[in-house]
Amino acid sequence: MWHKKNTNSMSSEQAAFLNRLRKRKNAVHGIQWVLLVGFFLLWEIAARLDWIDPFIFSQPSRMLSAGIQMGKDGSLWTHIGTTLWETVAGFVLGTVIGTLTAILLWWNRFISDVAEPYLVVLNSLPKTALAPIIIVWLGNNQTSIIAVALLTSVIVTVMSVLNGFLQVDAEKIKLIQIFGGTKAQILKKVVFPANIPCILNALKINVGLSFVGVIVGEFLVAQSGLGFLIVYGSQIFIWFYKLYVSIRQPHFHFPIIHPYHLNLYFREQIKLKYQFPGKYPYPLNVFRHLIYT
Amino acid sequence: MRPIVSLEDISLRYHSINGETVAVSDLSLSVQSGEFLSIVGPSGCGKSSILSMLAGLIIPSEGKISVNGEIGYMLQKDYLLEWRTIRNNALLGLEIQNKLTPENMAYVETLLNQYGLGDFKDHYPYQLSGGMRQRVALIRTLAIRPDILLLDEPFSALDYQTRLSVSDEIGTIIRKEGKTAILVSHDISEAISLADRVVVLSSRPAQVKKIYNIKLSIEEYSPMKAREAPEFREYFNAIWKELDVHVA
Repeated sequence: MWHKKNTNSMSSEQAAFLNRLRKRKNAVHGIQWVLLVGFFLLWEIAARLDWIDPFIFSQPSRMLSAGIQMGKDGSLWTHIGTTLWETVAGFVLGTVIGTLTAILLWWNRFISDVAEPYLVVLNSLPKTALAPIIIVWLGNNQTSIIAVALLTSVIVTVMSVLNGFLQVDAEKIKLIQIFGGTKAQILKKVVFPANIPCILNALKINVGLSFVGVIVGEFLVAQSGLGFLIVYGSQIFIWFYKLYVSIRQPHFHFPIIHPYHLNLYFREQIKLKYQFPGKYPYPLNVFRHLIYT
Repeated sequence: MRPIVSLEDISLRYHSINGETVAVSDLSLSVQSGEFLSIVGPSGCGKSSILSMLAGLIIPSEGKISVNGEIGYMLQKDYLLEWRTIRNNALLGLEIQNKLTPENMAYVETLLNQYGLGDFKDHYPYQLSGGMRQRVALIRTLAIRPDILLLDEPFSALDYQTRLSVSDEIGTIIRKEGKTAILVSHDISEAISLADRVVVLSSRPAQVKKIYNIKLSIEEYSPMKAREAPEFREYFNAIWKELDVHVA
C-alpha cells in the first residue's frame, strides 16, 4: 500500500533524493551521539585502566555519583539557583540599561560623539578584570556579583543596539517626519520596533557574558553558587593533592567527598570532636578521619 | 485664481565639509488646485529636494514657498512597517497626528475596501505583492486627507509591468479623489501619461527649462489610454530632446 502510494505520488528520482537527504540527516545525528557517548566512555575506560590518573582527571562515574549525591541532599540545587538568579539579574539589567543608554546616545548625537572613544576602550577592556575593584566598592556580597555580570554585558549591548538604531532606513524616519512626527514618535513607531530583533539578539549574547561575570564574581566573594563550588572544590583538591604527593601513593583512590559535608566537618564535628593542636591541622585530620573510620 | 502651491525664486544650497553644493537656484513654479504636475529632469538635479522643501523637511536658503493645504507625501518605495498589519500601516499617519477618530478610521476602511485591499487588512506587508503594497502606501497618504500629493518617483521600485498598472491605478485614484498632485520622475512617458503639465528641469542647479501643457485627444482619460494618444510620441520626443540625455 505504502509502496503503491509512494510510486504514484512521486517520481523515483524524488524518492531517491528524499532518501539521500534522510540518510545524511541520520548520519549527522548518529555521529554526534557516537562522539558524545564515546568521549565519556573513553574517559571512564582510561580512568579504570589507569591510563590517566583519576585523582587528577576524575572519571564520569564518580562525577555522576557526586552529582546524584549533591542532588539528593539539595545542595546542588541551592548553588545552581544562586548562580541562575545572579545570571538572570545580570543579563536583564545589562540589556535594559544598555538599551536605555543606546536610546540616549541615539537621541543626542553630540553625547554619542563624545562617548564614542570611551565606549571603544571600555568594550575592549576585560570587564572581569574590574571585578576586584567592584568588590572593593560595593562590598563582599551578591550585589557585587550582579554588578560584575552587568558590567560584562552592558557596553556591548550599548554598541550593538546603537548600531542597530543608526542603521534604520533614513527613508522610514522621513516617513514619520512627513506626517509631522516628533523625535519621540520616530523612536516609538520606527526605530525601536525595527530593532526588537537586535535587542533580543543582544539579550541572547548577554546570557553567556553575564554567566562568565557571575562565575568570576563568585570565585572572589561568594558563599554559594557554582563559582563558589568550583573554587571551594579546587582548594580542597589542593589540600588533598599536597597530601597525596607527600604520602607517595600515586593510585590511592579517595572516597567521594562533597564540599558541603566537608565544610560541616570543618566547622562543627571535627572542631568539637578532636580539638586540634597546631596551625593548619584540618586537611590532615580530615584525611585521617576518613581513612581510619 | 490663487495657486495652491507656489515657489518664488527658490535657491537651495547644501553644506558639507567638502564645500557648498547649489542644488536649486532661482526656481519659480506654481500649481493650481486640482492640477497634476509632473517634474522631470536629469538624475541628481535636485528634483527630490524640491519636494522635501514643499513638505517642510528642508528650509530653502532663499526664496518664498507658499502651500495652501495639507500635504501628503509618497516616497520612492512603500516603506510599509513589517511589524504592522496593513490596516495599522494605513493608519500610521493618523496615529502620528493624533487623529484616530472613529470617522477617520472608517474612512481608511472605506479606502482599503474600495481599492481592493478589503481582504488583506489583517495581513502583513510581506504577504502582499509590490503593486498592492504601493496602494497601501497611497492609502496611508490619503488617510490624512491631504489637499496636495507629493509623489517622489513612487513607482521606481516596481518592475516594468507592475509599474504600468500601478501608475495607471494610482493616477486614476488621485484624479477620482480630486487631489492636486506633484510627481517627480525620471520616466518621461510616466510623467506625460499622468500629468496636465510637465516641467522640465535643467541639470544641477535645478532651474525650469521648459513647461509643456499636455493636451491629448482621447475620449475618456486614463494614464494607460494616454499612452496611446497620437500626441503622446510628440511630447515624448520633445521632452527627450529637452533633457538632452547623453548615453556614453
